[in-house]
Amino acid sequence: METETLQLAISRVFDAPRELVYRAFTDPDHLAQWWGLTGNSLPREEIDFDVRPGGYQRWTEVSANEPDLRIHIYVNLTDVTDGELLEGVMHVGGQLQEGIEPFATRFRVEFHDEGEGRTRLEIRQWLPPHLAGPSEQGWLEAFTKLDATLTSAQVAADREGVVA
Amino acid sequence: MAGTDQLSAVFSALADPTRRAILVELAEHDATVTELTAPLPISMPAVSRHLKVLERAALISRTRSGKWRGSRLQGAPLRDAADWIDRYRRFWDSSLTRLDAHLAAVQAAERATDRMANDPKVPDNQEL
Repeated sequence: METETLQLAISRVFDAPRELVYRAFTDPDHLAQWWGLTGNSLPREEIDFDVRPGGYQRWTEVSANEPDLRIHIYVNLTDVTDGELLEGVMHVGGQLQEGIEPFATRFRVEFHDEGEGRTRLEIRQWLPPHLAGPSEQGWLEAFTKLDATLTSAQVAADREGVVA
Repeated sequence: MAGTDQLSAVFSALADPTRRAILVELAEHDATVTELTAPLPISMPAVSRHLKVLERAALISRTRSGKWRGSRLQGAPLRDAADWIDRYRRFWDSSLTRLDAHLAAVQAAERATDRMANDPKVPDNQEL
């Protein structure tokens, strides 16, 4: 099952009807208003959408602090259900931050009615395919625990080093 | 931040539960193959093979001191992998906070337009 590979999972409820939240993802004028890190901008003339199964979404994100950084996003939409689902592969390229190479990452955004005009977004983003090995459920939990263990071990080791 | 090839090796290495168990053990102390094999239900050659994978991913280093040949944990590649995930979590947090504000603004504007459309007397009243 796909949920068994490493992924980032985010769930968030918005005080807006599902149709509007879906439009925020699929209408260029909407996306330009919110996508990206705070301060970054999306030149309107570089946004090009054809939202349908097999379609695409394309845009450029310009860094506020370093205008030379221009991130090109190209999304191949593999699965689209109007008002309910966007799934595809996001290709990230262009002039990226130093140390970051172009990559592709699969994502899935589900739009759920929460009642009273609210919408719950379920976002999943998978690691680039060449990064994600086969794995079993609970991977991320194990990973987080392990990371915490390693950090404390590292701190202990550093302390020992100082004493020695 | 390591390159993507390095991360790839780290993630495949971490995908195996035995190798994760070995890393947890090594987080406590350096250990030999014999020591690492003891609590595991697999053979010493199998443990050696796992150690090779972990070494290629730079998650551990092998040390030799006289006859003693041990494995030592190297934390940095794991932190790089965690950074990758962290970066995306921060990205979504930032974007979705902006989305929240955007949706509120759009709905406020729609409500204002609706009021104007549904109650044409409002402008007249305002003129009075």
